[in-house]
Amino acid sequence: MTGRDDGTFLNVARLHAGYRAGRVLHGVDLGVAEGEICAILGPNGAGKTTLLRALCGMIRTEGVLRLAGADLPRRRPEAVARLGVAHVPEGRGTFAPLTVEENLRLGAYTRRGRTRIAADIDRVYGYFPVLKERRAQAAGSLSGGEQQMVAIGRALMSRPRLILLDEPSLGLAPLVTRELFHIVKTVNEEERTTVILVEQNAHLTLEFAHRAHVLETGRIVLSGSAQEIRDDEQTARAYLGIGVG
Amino acid sequence: MAGFVQQVIEGLGTGAIYAGLALALVLIYRFTGIVNFAQGELAMFSTFIAWQFVHAGVPFWAALALTLAISFAGGMLIERVLIRPVEGAPELTLVIVTLGLFLLVNAAAGWIWSFLIKDFPSPFPGGALRAGGVALGYSTLGVLGVVAAVMGLLYLLFRYTRIGLAMRAVASNPESARLSGIGVSRMLALGWGLAALVGAVSGVLVAPVLFLEPNMMGGVLIYAFAAATLGGFDSPVGAVAGGLIVGVAETLAGAYVHAIGSDLKVGVPLAVIIIVLLFRPQGLFGHAAVERA
Repeated sequence: MTGRDDGTFLNVARLHAGYRAGRVLHGVDLGVAEGEICAILGPNGAGKTTLLRALCGMIRTEGVLRLAGADLPRRRPEAVARLGVAHVPEGRGTFAPLTVEENLRLGAYTRRGRTRIAADIDRVYGYFPVLKERRAQAAGSLSGGEQQMVAIGRALMSRPRLILLDEPSLGLAPLVTRELFHIVKTVNEEERTTVILVEQNAHLTLEFAHRAHVLETGRIVLSGSAQEIRDDEQTARAYLGIGVG
Repeated sequence: MAGFVQQVIEGLGTGAIYAGLALALVLIYRFTGIVNFAQGELAMFSTFIAWQFVHAGVPFWAALALTLAISFAGGMLIERVLIRPVEGAPELTLVIVTLGLFLLVNAAAGWIWSFLIKDFPSPFPGGALRAGGVALGYSTLGVLGVVAAVMGLLYLLFRYTRIGLAMRAVASNPESARLSGIGVSRMLALGWGLAALVGAVSGVLVAPVLFLEPNMMGGVLIYAFAAATLGGFDSPVGAVAGGLIVGVAETLAGAYVHAIGSDLKVGVPLAVIIIVLLFRPQGLFGHAAVERA
């Protein structure tokens, strides 16, 4: 089963979700095509992180949530992970006391086959050579950028069909963020992995994304190609706080 | 001098037993953040099961294997039934639940097997290796060997197996573990099963020394707490080192410090707990949480 039967790889419709303290998403509609980098932009508190948490089964949801024809609601996070969704949470979710290589190995937890996993570890080291040097170091002792690399590397180890990246730029120097986004783009092009990129840093994100959606107070208020959204001065001012120019 | 060496050997022998129970405490603490006050009682209950098998004519080592298997399953069951419903509850709730489990298991053992003391066979032959006026009893040697073997096996499990790696991942970051596709609740149950198994080993080792009865682990639990505190509650190696240190300290204090003698030596572990908490709260081998942002 591929998602092509209904035209989209990931299909989100009338999605409501939230926490005990209150609802955060009020009917989100979103379609993501296979192989695209999809940016979710929007101000703090718009519900970006909640949307990702809903996608990967960490919180209860109402509405339609289908990935390649499979219904996601009511599945536990570990079950969603087995469907090929790799979530790199905000704050990276590193296993700090474990070594870099152990972190990567855990990314392949749902897979079998020693030699293929070993080959994939080398593939990740190919994308992030610095991790190879630090392979035996505790992941928690790495710099923020390196830890983000470990987190993305761990996600790649599951051979995901969909990677969810939650604010990867958080706390990183702009140059480091740019480098990371370049690698994400390379992975996306070489392996056709679909990427959902949640960011506040709209300017940089729009350089790398194919499509973008602006989320505001729990609803998608604007969708379009990254180009369109970047070219639309008014939206840029209204929603994204980009100094136009 | 020979007398001193002899005391150290005795201390290592008892210390190894504390180390065994401390190891069980540390296992559960690492995975669930729960200090399991019932760990000693579970070990006692396991020992009674072993006694029952031996009593029914099962050879000792077969009885031990059966007991370990039952303890493992029992530990997992307790996690499912008693601990799962209060997962994530405030610390005090968890403490009360394990205290309740303590009373429950203690009373159940008394009800089933009575509070009369029973002889428990030693798995090791009597006699000793002798050299230069020092005797190294086969039983002491056996206890040390078993605890070393248990620690070695745990090390291999955690360091080299897929399941061991998954368990360490759960201990370090349950949410990320879940996102990596690891069944966290299964790993927590596994942790309880493993701890019950390790505790059962310590119970079977201590029973021949102390006699078997429902309250036999009370004192051992205090020493095990001292050992775990000294070594660091998150460090299995520390638990074993802590157990040996506490055992030796206790024996030496009892033998050489006249004012302490054998009556007051139970004060030694308490002094150890207080001193460690004052000067190095994370323990000798424990990790203060250090992490770069």
